[in-house]
Amino acid sequence: MNATINYAELVYALRPEIALTLGLLLALGYDMAFGRRMSDCARRGVAVLIGIVTLASAVFQTLHTNVPPVGHAAYWFHGAFVYDTLAHGVRLGVFGLSALTLLLIAGSIPHSALRTPHFKHPAEYVAIQLLATMGFSLMAVSNNLLIAFLGFELASLSLYVMAGFDKTSRASAEASLKYFLFGGMAAAFMLFGFSLIYGMTGTIVLPEIARALAVQGPSPLLLVALVMVLVGFGYKAAAAPFHQWAPDVYQGAPAPAAALIASASKLAGFAFFARLLFSGLGTVSGDAINFGGPAGWIMAVIIISAASMLLGNIAALAQTNARRLIAYSAIAHAGIMLLGVIAVRAEGAGPLFYYALTYGIATIGVFGVFAAIERTAPCQRISDLAGLWKRSPFLALVLFVCVLSLAGIPPLAGFFGKFYLFAAALYLNGLMSPAGWLAFLAIAMSAVGLYYYLVILKAALVTNATAGTSASTEKIRVPLGTVIALATSAALTIALGIWPDVVLGLFK
Amino acid sequence: MTIASHPYAFIALFVAVAAAFPLGLLLVCRLWVWAFQPPKPSPVKNGIYECGLEAKGDSWIQFKAHYYLYAILFLIFDVEVLFLLPFAAAFNVLSWGALFVMLAFIFLLAEGLVWAWNRGHLEWK
Repeated sequence: MNATINYAELVYALRPEIALTLGLLLALGYDMAFGRRMSDCARRGVAVLIGIVTLASAVFQTLHTNVPPVGHAAYWFHGAFVYDTLAHGVRLGVFGLSALTLLLIAGSIPHSALRTPHFKHPAEYVAIQLLATMGFSLMAVSNNLLIAFLGFELASLSLYVMAGFDKTSRASAEASLKYFLFGGMAAAFMLFGFSLIYGMTGTIVLPEIARALAVQGPSPLLLVALVMVLVGFGYKAAAAPFHQWAPDVYQGAPAPAAALIASASKLAGFAFFARLLFSGLGTVSGDAINFGGPAGWIMAVIIISAASMLLGNIAALAQTNARRLIAYSAIAHAGIMLLGVIAVRAEGAGPLFYYALTYGIATIGVFGVFAAIERTAPCQRISDLAGLWKRSPFLALVLFVCVLSLAGIPPLAGFFGKFYLFAAALYLNGLMSPAGWLAFLAIAMSAVGLYYYLVILKAALVTNATAGTSASTEKIRVPLGTVIALATSAALTIALGIWPDVVLGLFK
Repeated sequence: MTIASHPYAFIALFVAVAAAFPLGLLLVCRLWVWAFQPPKPSPVKNGIYECGLEAKGDSWIQFKAHYYLYAILFLIFDVEVLFLLPFAAAFNVLSWGALFVMLAFIFLLAEGLVWAWNRGHLEWK
């Protein structure tokens, strides 16, 4: 190693992360100094405000007029960090999604009659969420297996804590422990895979791995490494058959934490996954265009993707718990995003990014509605949603837009996300290719998915809360922060559906 | 294409070895116990300590779970030493930037300690 490490370059590359660190320290410090003398409400407000301002400054540090396109990326700090439109877009995306989930905190405080409030320590929650966001942001720019692993673990460890933040709830503790155990296992698999890749190529920088593998070609050991990485990543992304933690975590975690797990973490994870597979392991991808081509990761990704779509959509049909239903739908969406990873070869990362971003926005909307309902009555079973349109027309409208977007109804963003992904997969070689068959399966499964999404909407918009059901009829007063977050996510879901080029244009 | 030359055969072999190795060890342990270690429990053998004072009561007692806080706080110092040692070993050849980075690192760790102190986690309850 040379001793002339350019620290200025390191600081330059990590400006948003440094902004997040400072904001995190500020949130903790302010709460330590003044928090005890403030009311719970003001304390929460200040913590959320500091979090939002921090994320805004991180966005400001990210904005750059001259972003190099994918393929002509700028490399910083001896190739440890990469900067291109994908990294740029993912950073902005995770900051935005994180800010939206922060705003949900105010809405997810149950009335004191129901339970003790579970956000007793708002500053710590905000600090941990900023740490998680830093992990996502690192994943977005990492060009190096070690940095990526650090980003993954920073994000995961923070998310475990956030899932268990409601200390008074058994379900929350269960969610946290399950998530932790599965996540730790996934990290071990992924690290084992990374170490095998390093052992074979002697480098951890992605383009250099690609160069070394182009010389070596596929080997049995490399296949083991690929399978290990895919298993580890499958766990993190909740793709079948590694999805077991997802329903319990979505059910038990506080709604803002579940929203972050479902949105920003997916976006950052899939973006890094696509980068790893294409810029690091691209030469050993195998063949997605013809049947019976050379072996590689594409076949494994196709199998995981198909399993996720089948299991997610079919298991969701049987759910009576709204949050578990959303979890199974998340598994199905993870399958579609894996299809998007394959389709990166045809159309670039644009469709995948657009899909993951719009999916995240819509999911935040759904979890925000659940959080707001929980202010008056528990919101777990689908029947708890009954009569929502009478209790709060606003919440019912947001739920309508976001759920239809998840189902993929035009003109909402979810439809165009699916459309671009399937089109990109079909561009590979039409229907006569594994990727084409997978796209066909995805279209068929979207039709299955429509049923359970409409079950949610039927409960919320058609069914009346009768005396026999558990649903409350009390009017719901939605706090300002939640109104902003929900209105933003619903508006974005519609606007990005009408003008998809705002996002896709980044990748042109 | 024979089975041995199939590209995924190595993964099957890998999984088989990964499963066989721990199972084989367990089997050897079982055989050892069966052949050489027939169970002969006695009060002395079941005692909590092998030697030393006679133990009073059971080994299954409750102890304060608060210990875990100290274990976590100990990590602050543990990690600090772990990273300061290589830094100190290479101190002569490092630049000002390295010093700054190390100070930032220590500052972040110290912030954790200050936070725990301020929250009253250092007081034994």
